[in-house]
Amino acid sequence: MKKLKLCSVLSCLFLTTVHDVHAGSRQLGTGAVTQIEGASGSGLVPWATIAGYGESDETDFLASLTRVDTGDYRFDMQGISVGWRNRVEVSFAKQELDLITLGPAIGLPGATLNQDVIGAKVRLGGNLVYSKMPQIAFGIQYKKNTDFLIPSVVGAKDDKGIDYYLSASKLFLGKPGGLNGFATMTLRSTEAIETGLLGFGGDNGSGRDVNVEASFGVFFNKSVALGVDFRQKQRQLNFAKESHWKDVFIAWVPNRHVSLVLAYADLGNVATLENQKGWYVSVNGGF
Amino acid sequence: MKKISMLLIALFLLNACVKQTKPESLYDQLGGAPTIDLITKNLLDRILNNEKIAFLFKETVREDLHEKIVSQLCQETGGPCVYEGLDMVEAHSGQEIKYSEFDVFVEDLILAMEDANVPFTLQNKFLAIFAPMREDVTYQ
Repeated sequence: MKKLKLCSVLSCLFLTTVHDVHAGSRQLGTGAVTQIEGASGSGLVPWATIAGYGESDETDFLASLTRVDTGDYRFDMQGISVGWRNRVEVSFAKQELDLITLGPAIGLPGATLNQDVIGAKVRLGGNLVYSKMPQIAFGIQYKKNTDFLIPSVVGAKDDKGIDYYLSASKLFLGKPGGLNGFATMTLRSTEAIETGLLGFGGDNGSGRDVNVEASFGVFFNKSVALGVDFRQKQRQLNFAKESHWKDVFIAWVPNRHVSLVLAYADLGNVATLENQKGWYVSVNGGF
Repeated sequence: MKKISMLLIALFLLNACVKQTKPESLYDQLGGAPTIDLITKNLLDRILNNEKIAFLFKETVREDLHEKIVSQLCQETGGPCVYEGLDMVEAHSGQEIKYSEFDVFVEDLILAMEDANVPFTLQNKFLAIFAPMREDVTYQ
């Protein structure tokens, strides 16, 4: 009986909290979604946006799940992030790449590549919606392989690395044609091989690369956006060349608590397997 | 050759004609005075009853606010009005309006336009005109 009472008090508390918590007050869609490394952005590309909808006096929390499946590979990401006062974002993501085809081929059925990514981003200036200049942010992503065996065998030098990026994002109210367009350009300095899942620093002597990433699209109404991502990747291990990544996405943001992204990604040549294409699904929840 | 020069002259004249037609103002596209009035009414219904920002208007008389907003919206969208109220910095000085409160206002404005059946494309053009005012309205 006592237990029951405690339960009902707890559920009451829980319900009131859920009822009372409101996401930040920025306009719908301005929190973007969560990209594959856990930062606020679109599928492949971090944006200059700060996770969630918090304004200068608000803090938002987000959780996200993402899966990309090409048949030969299955990528899963679980991420959490905090957006503080539309100024600072901190994120953590666990990534797993299931080597569906390569695993058995190298005598390791069920093998996966794994890494953790701790991200931080600070908005340096500008506002996605209201300022003439774009919103500008600087971010870092500290990446660490949780199992370095396969990366070390294929030639990676290091099981950890830090990406630095500078990003500019802008929403164009009423353009094109009365709709709201958006664009992001991100420059990333990295030593990561296949975003770090195959380790860091190659065996062919190349140092840091600076890669260009871009994302643009259009909101067709308050809640639905269509866009494309491009992510340059140029690290070359002796055993396999990396391809640039692309995707086409549709994002649905029914309210400030949920978003859903469906994309079709073209990852090209990934660790000797050519023509990797597949669906990308991501769901975000936040308050 | 003659045909070509005739054609060029015709094109030139046509071009001159096109240039003379003024593009329809956003005010006209919205439907003029009745729509501006309805948007304003819907907006006031919302903001004056929205607990997050209603306190910002407690010293104002609804009729005055209605009149000022109508004339400002009319002028800024290219309508035949002259807004004679205070500029945005003066009008909000001492209020220390936060970005988050400004956001709530914008959201109510969007809903006010939706209630007035303003198409999404015109809503965005409308917002594009007023978005740059944020820095004048907030933290004054």
